[in-house]
Amino acid sequence: MITAQPSLEVKLGKLQLAYPTLMGSGCYGSGDEFAPFADLTKIGAVVLKSVTRRPRLGNPTPRLVHTPAGLLNAIGLQNPGIDWYVEREVPKYADRPCPLIGSVAGFSIDDYAYVCEQLAKCAPIAAIELNISCPNVGSEGETFACDPDLTARVVRAARATTDKTLIVKLSPNVTDIASIAREAEAAGADALAVINTVRGMSVDVETWRPRLGNVTGGLSGPAIRPIAVLAVYEVARAVSIPIVGQGGIETATDALEFFLAGATAVSIGTANFTDPRIPERIVAELQAYLGRRGLAAIGDIVGKANVGIVGAYQHGGDEG
Amino acid sequence: MPTIDCDSRVHETRVTDRSELAPGVILLGLNAPELARATRAGQYVMAIPPTGEAAATALGIYEAQGERASLLFFLTGKRTRELGELRPGDMLALTGPLGNGFDLSSKPRHAVIVAGGVGIASVLLAAQRLVADGTRVELLYGARNEALLVDAQRFAEAGCELALATDDGSAGHHGLITALLERRSEMPDLILACGPSPMLRAVGRIAADRGVRAQLSLEETFACGVGGCWGCVVPLARTSAQAPGFPLESQGGSDVVYARICKEGPVFFSDELKW
Repeated sequence: MITAQPSLEVKLGKLQLAYPTLMGSGCYGSGDEFAPFADLTKIGAVVLKSVTRRPRLGNPTPRLVHTPAGLLNAIGLQNPGIDWYVEREVPKYADRPCPLIGSVAGFSIDDYAYVCEQLAKCAPIAAIELNISCPNVGSEGETFACDPDLTARVVRAARATTDKTLIVKLSPNVTDIASIAREAEAAGADALAVINTVRGMSVDVETWRPRLGNVTGGLSGPAIRPIAVLAVYEVARAVSIPIVGQGGIETATDALEFFLAGATAVSIGTANFTDPRIPERIVAELQAYLGRRGLAAIGDIVGKANVGIVGAYQHGGDEG
Repeated sequence: MPTIDCDSRVHETRVTDRSELAPGVILLGLNAPELARATRAGQYVMAIPPTGEAAATALGIYEAQGERASLLFFLTGKRTRELGELRPGDMLALTGPLGNGFDLSSKPRHAVIVAGGVGIASVLLAAQRLVADGTRVELLYGARNEALLVDAQRFAEAGCELALATDDGSAGHHGLITALLERRSEMPDLILACGPSPMLRAVGRIAADRGVRAQLSLEETFACGVGGCWGCVVPLARTSAQAPGFPLESQGGSDVVYARICKEGPVFFSDELKW
């Protein structure tokens, strides 16, 4: 008897994905950079590098520091600006073998709305991620994701410009991520990306100087995974839209933690710097895991760690 | 440098030989016929850590001949130590070859290669290729001490003239290798260099003073190694052919643009670097 392969298909708003694995923004170029080393037909989608209204030179160097179980970065949203990007970059993306999700960053609500509108018009762009949580551009980049009211306003403004799936990327550098998530949902977000990098810093004890040109950076990699799993868990209890879980996922087991905590899909970033074959391996192992347990679809396990839980959350009945 | 359009992929290689050329300096030979065939002088690989517990490491391709390619590296941290643990028979996955190597197309009569420390790992292929093309090649090779002047004999056997320098005076000139470049009465047709940033800056400055340009192979912390993350950048004149296409206003009035060392480099012309 032939048993059907368990389905890994997921839906984020209107966006149907063959696999629940996104490649994190800024970690995978436009996909083309990794095409010689990874099978792009075996990934869910590539989230493109963030683009802003005006061109940005990016941060001074060094921009990267390897830390225990992590990577500290401060790239600073280097990008050619939306006009150049739409005219000269996006057309090159037309024949990618997987869906592309555009990423929008900004410094004002107008910026976000403008860039979102221009980008969403482009045929190769299947959906939009609003990066309201970049920690590496002074205080401005992350301001939106740290304030429920600003989150609501920026999401509402972006929502008004497009019907394409709108994913809002949240910051872990907040006191109550659930309250931000609720605002984003109410303002029209189709899905939430949880989480962006965790703010961090490293100092060179020989030179007595910060090791990043930008002084502070965003930490990614396995070091932040438990932080991210908790954030997904908390957000999943607060909203009913899908969550794209991310933060240090390197294996199918890591990904499963996120699904069980409440993520509908996951995003793989830093792990691509360890081995570009990781996303394909995760997909194969997720399928095997579901098969072993006789489950038909990845959706069957989403949020199961949230069921019948005993502990502090049981007393928070007003959240559920 | 002209963009190299080569056959890059993930290679599953097997370690064929391993030697410790000096304390903490490893030469790892690999059975990697496709990599060896595709490699051009000055290119590198991203070595995927066998345990998968650290980011991949960028390493210059030292030798590439027939079925064998080799990597020469110093044990400087967790990632290189893990690679240093590999023994003949072990598997090592690599992505590559990557980057734009040295431009040797000018068929120079006389070339000087300046190498500092582990920078020696990225220049052997260039030396071999130049000698084969009939170029007179001088290698100026500097290290902390005599023991760390690894594999110098190999360059002599390849037909290079050698001049050495050590920080402690244990071999060759006592001091910086760049002093040997600076004191020359005549400049060669071609200067290639790979080593620590202060050495490369000095080579670039000396070349500029003498009205020539050098090709500098830069090293920087990489994340992706394939142009996807914009982490390993260096400021470059926007007029450079290697500058990524960016609109003028992105420069905020300056004439500089950040280029990716992994993608647009790792080799850059000294007079186009604005560092």
